Amino acid sequence: MIEVENLTKRYGPKTAVDGLSFTVRPGVVTGFLGPNGAGKSTTLRLLVGLDAPTSGGTKVNGKPYRRHRAPLREIGVLLEARAVHPGRSARDHLLAVGATHGIGAKRVDEVLDVVGLTEVARRRVGKFSLGMGQRLGIGVALLGDPRAVVLDEPVNGLDPDGIKWIRHLLRDLAAEGRTVFVSSHLMSEMALTADHLVVVGRGKLVADVPVADLIASTRRGVRVRTPRTSDLVAVLQGDGVEITSLGGGVVDVIGLSTEDIGTRALVAGIPLFELTPQRASLEEAYTELTRDAVEYRGTSERVAA
Amino acid sequence: MSATTIDRPVAEKTPLTFGGVVRGEWVKLRSVRSSGLTVLGAALMMLVTGLVFASTVGSDSDGADGVTDPTGITLSGVMFAQLVTGVLGVLVVSNEYATGMIRSTLTAVPSRLPVLLGKVAVVVGTLFPTMLAVSFTVFLAGQAVMGGAKLPTAAVGDPGVLAALVGSAATMTGVAVIGVALGALLRSTAGAISTLVVLVFLLPGLGGLLLPASWRDDALKYLPSSASEAFTSVVPAPGLLGPSAGAAVFAAWVVVPLLLAAVLLRRRDA
Ligand SMILES: Nc1ncnc2c1ncn2[C@@H]1O[C@H](COP(=O)(O)OP(=O)(O)OP(=O)(O)O)[C@@H](O)[C@H]1O
Ligand SMILES: [Mg+2]
Repeated sequence: MIEVENLTKRYGPKTAVDGLSFTVRPGVVTGFLGPNGAGKSTTLRLLVGLDAPTSGGTKVNGKPYRRHRAPLREIGVLLEARAVHPGRSARDHLLAVGATHGIGAKRVDEVLDVVGLTEVARRRVGKFSLGMGQRLGIGVALLGDPRAVVLDEPVNGLDPDGIKWIRHLLRDLAAEGRTVFVSSHLMSEMALTADHLVVVGRGKLVADVPVADLIASTRRGVRVRTPRTSDLVAVLQGDGVEITSLGGGVVDVIGLSTEDIGTRALVAGIPLFELTPQRASLEEAYTELTRDAVEYRGTSERVAA
Repeated sequence: MSATTIDRPVAEKTPLTFGGVVRGEWVKLRSVRSSGLTVLGAALMMLVTGLVFASTVGSDSDGADGVTDPTGITLSGVMFAQLVTGVLGVLVVSNEYATGMIRSTLTAVPSRLPVLLGKVAVVVGTLFPTMLAVSFTVFLAGQAVMGGAKLPTAAVGDPGVLAALVGSAATMTGVAVIGVALGALLRSTAGAISTLVVLVFLLPGLGGLLLPASWRDDALKYLPSSASEAFTSVVPAPGLLGPSAGAAVFAAWVVVPLLLAAVLLRRRDA
């Protein structure tokens, strides 16, 4: 369980996290989503006490992180920024971190195996590829066999196999009853992995929803154009069907397929001039959610807006 | 990649302990190349300087009369070796900031102070015995060289000699601890090493040139290098503090920066 309460962090004039509150529950994968610069990494640094909050606070399994007797057994983190000495071997890195908590070679070798680095365990980390470095970081997160696992952009630099591996790992960790919190700025990735989403923008909470709800709220609609709007509404109406009139003989229908709509209109003798499925994806729902919260928008988009 | 999950909870749920932090710092120290190189460099500096001085002394016009302090001659490498041990102390901390390792370290030990103490412990535990052994070695070898040249020599049992040997090891170790503190305060290898060089090496000379003569000597004797000279010299130069005053001043040079580093380590964002 991770609790973030009224968390604010300012760096000079810049407010990176702005009164953020949410709770991450055990047993499911929770995605931490937001555009670049939204404050995700900052929130995670505050969570493990690397930075001190300007106000508000965080709790891990009921207590501030630093109050735990065995912090690494409560929560394991992979941070965004590199946190390894390149001259040290992967195994020595894990041994050094583990030693603080009495975690020895046996567990270190176990973790090296889990993250697939056994073969290169004694090689200098400086020679590692981006993906291997990422695996080592995940190894550190798993080292203490923690009740909560927090990964900041874990799929960065991983190949498709690696991404699939992460997805399974996260699901398994959650199935074991652990709290799993994973940041990303890609909705498409989270949609495949997460059960719940915490969305932030400009340091503020934008949404805290189950993925299923978000999907339900963005079901694909169908755009229909007809000269007899009211007749059409009458034949389409029913349970679970949502019809929005856009004026000019255009309606958006949610809850019926194009086949359904076309057939019913034909049976009722209503002419249709247009029947177009709308491609409202989860990605669009996310874009919609964070529209006002995007910090660094590309110039082309700004021109378009 | 075999398993996709953590197999089972590890048997013993051992907590975070200070002993563990020290062991972790030891693993870090022994697993980067620069540590061994700096310790070796400091040892070589001691041996080479001491033996060169021992074999060239007395060859000038004064002859054997010029050798008033045979112990000091063989230990003259401390002047340079302390810079090298100081660099080791700096690197133990500044390396972590340079590479980002500090984030792994402070995440594992969120109370932070044990990390600083652990670093001091492994630096002291490595350097003091090593530099003590090196001091004895260069002392004995140097006395043998001078004895062979029919010059005056000293023995370990002579008054003040044992104190000079232990004091030299303590000086080189103490400067390394100053290095740890500077590394933690400045977080930059270049900045901390420059500060260290200025403090232990340049300031005595610069001060001699720049300070007004009326209080120059009074000020200079409180510098770390003069303070350590006061308790490592068998035949002290004029104008130094007494041995215990010197030891106290040197200890303050070690402890005060370390306390400052501890306060800032707790306060600052990593
Ligand atoms: N140490 C710092 N000093 C000054 N500003 C900072 C610092 N850390 C973060 N910021 C600023 O705070 C904001 C939030 O940054 P953060 O890295 O938390 O975002 P993020 O959501 O992780 O973004 P991304 O998806 O790009 O990783 C940014 O505007 C960033 O420039
Ligand atoms: Mg980030």
